[in-house]
Amino acid sequence: MKYIATIHGKEYEVEILDEHRVVVDGVVYQVDFIQVGNQPVYSLVVDGQSYDALVYSDEDAWQVMFRGRMFSVLVEDEREMRLRTALGAAAQKSDEFHLKAPMPGLIVSVPVQVGQPVQKGDVLLVLESMKMQNELRSPRAGNVARIRVKPGDRVEQKETLLSVV
Amino acid sequence: MFNKVLIANRGEIAVRIIRACRELGLQTVAVFSDADRQALHVRYADEAYRLGPAPARDSYLRGDKIIKVALESGAGAIHPGYGFLAERADFAEQAMAAGLIFIGPRPSSIAAMGDKAVARQTVARAGIPVVPGTEGEGALRDDELLALAPQIGFPLLIKATAGGGGKGMREVNSLEEMPALLTAARREAEASFGDGNVYLEKLIEDARHIEVQILADGMGNVIHLLERECSIQRRHQKLLEEAPSPFIGDDDAFRQELGAVAVRAAQAVHYENAGTIEFLVDKEKKYYFLEMNTRLQVEHPVTELVTGIDIVKEQIRIARGRQLRYTQDQVHPNGWAIECRINAEDPYNNFIPSTGRITHTLLPTGPGIRVDTGVYIGFEVSPYYDSLISKLVVWGETRGAAILRMRRALEEYKIIGVRTNIPFHQRLMDSHRFMGGQYDTRFVEERFKSFEALSAAAEDGEDQPELAALIAALVAHQQTQRATHVIQRSKRDASNWKWLGRWERMQR
Repeated sequence: MKYIATIHGKEYEVEILDEHRVVVDGVVYQVDFIQVGNQPVYSLVVDGQSYDALVYSDEDAWQVMFRGRMFSVLVEDEREMRLRTALGAAAQKSDEFHLKAPMPGLIVSVPVQVGQPVQKGDVLLVLESMKMQNELRSPRAGNVARIRVKPGDRVEQKETLLSVV
Repeated sequence: MFNKVLIANRGEIAVRIIRACRELGLQTVAVFSDADRQALHVRYADEAYRLGPAPARDSYLRGDKIIKVALESGAGAIHPGYGFLAERADFAEQAMAAGLIFIGPRPSSIAAMGDKAVARQTVARAGIPVVPGTEGEGALRDDELLALAPQIGFPLLIKATAGGGGKGMREVNSLEEMPALLTAARREAEASFGDGNVYLEKLIEDARHIEVQILADGMGNVIHLLERECSIQRRHQKLLEEAPSPFIGDDDAFRQELGAVAVRAAQAVHYENAGTIEFLVDKEKKYYFLEMNTRLQVEHPVTELVTGIDIVKEQIRIARGRQLRYTQDQVHPNGWAIECRINAEDPYNNFIPSTGRITHTLLPTGPGIRVDTGVYIGFEVSPYYDSLISKLVVWGETRGAAILRMRRALEEYKIIGVRTNIPFHQRLMDSHRFMGGQYDTRFVEERFKSFEALSAAAEDGEDQPELAALIAALVAHQQTQRATHVIQRSKRDASNWKWLGRWERMQR
């Protein structure tokens, strides 16, 4: 089975030959890979080197943490890759970003207005939780649309707060 | 003399105090909110009583209920820990009026040091340098603060009068941005301490945050337990502390001078029990009194590891009216200790607090390691309290040995279910400036501004993205295989729903 793994825009071709042999960009690795205790903890022994990794699945990428490093890895098989390339960058750009509450809390302020253009990194909203005020920032440029909350509102985790289109 | 202690706190510090009590043969009484019924402090204590709903103002800040529980359970003393009611003079007074012993300073000392403006006046009178600011001006209105700001000069800090731990604190670089920051600071102060009063203070640049632990008994004996360096901070929240201070290093004359000044500050308010004098120290080793914390500090374990003195036990001993066990000439530093605060927050996502159930945890163990924590597998990290879930403390013969040990311990430490700042600490341990002890209170904000970018950059050639690609592909592959398996089964198996449920969970 062949996969394309993308890390920070760089593609790696990963082919799983069988349970113990994996090819990454033409290099064959002898792997012993197990999941530990039904947790997102994986032990990888590759060519005698032992790695302990945490792997979380994020919205569309895998977050792989090992030896104090974190990698966001998009994994696609060839069909998915072709599909995405066919849809092109245009389809991706029109994607809306829906800001969801990362944790339950209280809305302190919403320093943006509907229709306002924002840049990547701009503060969209201030959420108070765990006795701290947390700034929630825009992951990309766009225009603010559909603000669903106002200062003073209590919100639940994963509740959609506003959108950037 | 008491033999049962009520611990008016939660989390790791409640567990820490229960442990000291148990070792001293004292009975323990825990109190808890609805969010903490399952917490370790409730399960470890001999007795436990419910206070009320989860929000602190309905539970851990209900001094009246806590005193009632203490009286009804027959506890003779209350240990307040840190935070919550620890620095509320009125609570200490009410406890004493009810015939209980408050394990901490006299209410008058808490009041004198707790109001930072009064504190600065008091120590300034004792000849100790203070940072320029609106000391002793009382509760000023916004327009008054705005008028005073240019006299102090920018950059300056807005600080909560009743505050601590960076809450209600804002940095101001110009008069224009000040009104909005004042509003935010007052709001946060009101939410955290029930008191929206703030004051201004000049920001000392290139400052190191160095503090001195002191112990004082009821007979007028005051000693200091050397210094702690706490300059590794983010948004004025300490993240890592070490003892001794790498800045002071082997300048023992300066160490003893700072210690003696701390003792003088404590004597100025007739202090009793454990306390900490915080200083800002600039490059020229000019020091300024910052504040006194009239309680046990989060970072007290680093001092315990280098001095061998159990501060909580000393607190209890002092509260029992005994004399200090140690004299100043018996206090010597031995080796080096470092504490990493493990917070439930995501270093890859702007350090946003993370909540959820801890599904798995593996503690670092072995030589020279101490973990103070209140969480365990199955524990739910709730949004109601602060994000500190564990303190990882190591000891080494030298600073280098302690750093290497901390690296080892961080690599071993696994907490699954909530995001933690462990990767941040790992990067910090790899930082050459940290290793060289070359850092000030701005270090984290300047060097770790974009943690993600820093993490992505192969700083020391140890990055192995091809292995990350391999691991992610294998995990994705396993899940696809299992999903395929499910579909095959569903054609003939009756328990389709169970499989579908599992499949959907995996897809999340």
